Order: sequence, then C-alpha cells, then structure tokens
Amino acid sequence: MSNHLLEYIEIKDFKCFKDFKAEGFKRVNLIGGKNNVGKTAFMEACYVNTYSYKSENTISMAISDIIMIRYNQTFFQDLFLGKGIEYVGNRIINKIKEFDSNEIYSNIQNIICSFEKEDLGVRDKKNRIKSFVGSSKISDDKLESSYGFIIENGLEDKIDKIIKLVDSNIKSFRIINSEPKCNFLNNPKFINIHELGDGLLRYISIIFSLFICQKSFLFIDEIENGIHYSKLDKLWEIILTISKEQTVQVFATTHSKECIESYARVSKKLEEEQKIDKDDVCFIELGRNDNVLESITYNYEEVISQITDHQDLRGW
Amino acid sequence: MVKIICEGGDDHSFLQLILNDLQENKLIPEEITSFGSYIQPMGGKSSLLDKEKYTTINKQINKKIKKVLFIFDCDFEDDDKKCGNLENSERCIDNLITELNWKIEIDYYIFDKNLDYFIIDTLKEKDTFLSCEKCLDLKKLNKNRKLLSSIYKELYPKPPYDFTHKNFDELKQKLTKLFN
Repeated sequence: MSNHLLEYIEIKDFKCFKDFKAEGFKRVNLIGGKNNVGKTAFMEACYVNTYSYKSENTISMAISDIIMIRYNQTFFQDLFLGKGIEYVGNRIINKIKEFDSNEIYSNIQNIICSFEKEDLGVRDKKNRIKSFVGSSKISDDKLESSYGFIIENGLEDKIDKIIKLVDSNIKSFRIINSEPKCNFLNNPKFINIHELGDGLLRYISIIFSLFICQKSFLFIDEIENGIHYSKLDKLWEIILTISKEQTVQVFATTHSKECIESYARVSKKLEEEQKIDKDDVCFIELGRNDNVLESITYNYEEVISQITDHQDLRGW
Repeated sequence: MVKIICEGGDDHSFLQLILNDLQENKLIPEEITSFGSYIQPMGGKSSLLDKEKYTTINKQINKKIKKVLFIFDCDFEDDDKKCGNLENSERCIDNLITELNWKIEIDYYIFDKNLDYFIIDTLKEKDTFLSCEKCLDLKKLNKNRKLLSSIYKELYPKPPYDFTHKNFDELKQKLTKLFN
C-alpha cells in the first residue's frame, strides 16, 4: 500500500474512546456497528488523525470541520430562530468539549474566532484535500465548491460517464446559476437534481469527493443514506475502482446489512476481474463490552467468508 | 453473542429448525432473531477440528463471542482412525478446545454416528424407512444414511421432525442453555 494510507490508529480520551486500538486498515474501509456505538466518532478520530502530522492548530481545524458537518444544520436553525451568535458559540464550545481532549482545549479560542470571522464555517478550503461527507444532504454551496474543482481539472466528461453508471438515462451534470442540474438522453432540458430525489445528490457528492481527495482521504458517514439497495453495488463499484485510480483511502460507516453484503459481493467481483487487489478491502466491526468500545478488523478473505456464511457483521 | 459451530450446510438448516422450535416453545428469548447468523459452518468435520481454521473466530472470541457450542458428527472409526467414532471425537474436540485456549464458556454436542442417523432414529416412520434401507441395500452404497435421510427430505421438503422425541432432549438442553 502507498505510505500515505492510515493503517492503524490508537485513540485515547477522545469522545467515547478511552484507550482504543485498531489496525489492519486498507484502501477502502467499511465500518459497521450498532446505533450509537461510536462508528462516526471512530471515523472522526481517523479524520483528525490524518491532520496530526502538522500541528495542534491543524487538528483543531479538523475538529471544527467535523463539528460544522455534524451539527451545522441545527446551529444555523438556531441562528435563524434569532438565538444569536453568542448562544450558537456556546453550543459550539459544548460540542468541542465532547471531544474531551486536553490538547484541543488550548485551541478552542482559535476555532471560535474562525467560526465568527468567517461567518460560521464559510472558510477558504483551497488547501484542504481531505473530505468528510456527512450523513445529511450536501448543500448546494458545497456541491458548487466541489464542482469548481471538477471544472478546473477538466473532469466534467469523466464525471458524466460515472453518473451514467448510476442512471443510464442521465446525459450530463452541470451547475448552472448555482443550481445543480442534469439533463437526460431523451430530454436536453436541464432539471434541478433536487427534483430527482436525494439518492442522485448523494451519489454525486461521493463521486466528486473521490476526485477531490486524490492521494488523500475520504470519510463518508452512513454511506447508504438516501440510496436504494439495488444501487448499492454500483456505488461500491465506483468507490472501489475510483479510489484505487485516484489513490484515495476511504472510510465509510454503515449499519445496513444490505450495504455490507453489497460491499463484499462487489469486492469479490472486482478482485476476480483483477480491477482491485485483496489488499484494497477491509471491514471494521465495532462493539461494546462493559461499556468499553472494541473493534474487530476483517481482511478481504474474512469479509467474503463471513458474508458467504451469512454471519452478521453489524456489531455486538 | 453466542455461536454454534457446526460442520456444514445440512447442520445449519437442521439447527435453524430446532432453534425455531425452541423459540416457539418459549425456551429461547423471542428478541433473538435470524438464527442463521448465530451458526458458523466450518466446511466439514476435519475443518471443524482443525485449530488453523479459527483465525477469524479467534478475533471475535471474548469481544463479540462469549459462548460457543460445537455440534458435529462422531462418524465411523473405519473412515477416520483419529477422530472417527464417539470416543475419538470427544478426544479430538477436547484437544481442540485446549489448543484454542478461549477463555469463554464452551460446550459440545456430538451426534451419534451422524445427523442423518440421528434424524432417522427420531422419525415416527423409522421402521418403514429402515425396511426401505434394508430392502434396497442402501447401506452398501452409503453407510451414513445420507440416502435415507435424503429420501425423507425429498418426500417432506419441510421435514416434520418430532422435536419432542427423547433423542432431541440433550441437544435441546444445550441449545437452550446457550441462548439463556
């Protein structure tokens, strides 16, 4: 594997983690576990860890990113309800405290300043190449920002071809007047994709992120959200092949049995077709014993055999 | 979580039937669903008794898996000098348990001869089937009674096993204990 990949992690005193270790990560890592076990927190720890080689300040930036991704909707709702910047600022501080790390506290003030100065998260991210796709719907602003990267790098046609794999009727995707739109083979008129449901938007945000995160990391929370089970195979095919082509390490969470089965099925198919290697696939199962979070990491062969034997990998 | 470790697909199907029966009789908590995921087939007796085949399960022991019940056939000494027949099978499973060194609750149940013998013995039509076996000299073709139990399964695609038969008692007790 390329040396930029995260292969193991030790987490101490971070959110629900006290003293936790997991190893054996590969290029594409699917994380399973019961509700509220700590799947997203685990992924957040990996995300923060990818910034740790720089400085405490970059770690704080990573944490502020996560907070905005996970909680921004309610923060903005509170703002619109007239609760004011001070109230929202306090809520942000409380959320940061949940991360429970002494090293981070020293930078809380910087984070808050960054929120206030840049109008709650509208920050220049030109130099940021890691992406955390939250479980909720991507905003048009963020999609437009990602689309800028696609245009700058001449990837429109490639993106259109990949979107066609998801829906063969779609001809092309464009952002026109800040609105995400697509047209169809039998209808050249561009339609706002919000009219077509959340699934397509989810697909597009993941596809964009795979290109934006070239030679870097992509984190996807509750990957199956908004996606019909019959389309999961196609999604995994796109993730497994493009992440290899673009050298992206992917971490994704799920609690869907169908999603895990699809991941195993597609990995096996692509490995047999020599489009990916066994070393590209990993499954991380999380569970609790006496309220202590533990993990089991399965390699390619183990994922395939467990799914073939109808074993449940959705945590304990 | 608990795990039943068995030989293969036939055991898997049979165990699901008996577990459903136990649950219907309220001997297994109703919140336990999808029994299939509690049963791990190993792909044969030799694999079940080979400690090298437990790499994945080893990772799960003490974390995800807290109790294990091994279920397998004792088979015949003629076919397997080392682990064939009841006495040798017990010695082999005891050795395996020692080698695995899992610090959890472990039990085992060994079918006398094999699952097919075991099932035929519990059938109300047992005598009829044994006459059939004798008449067609089926044992000459397959001493495991696989042919006879296959005929039964062919005749009754959803086998009406008599789980109240006394032969099932010990297995039922072990399964009930496992899930409670």
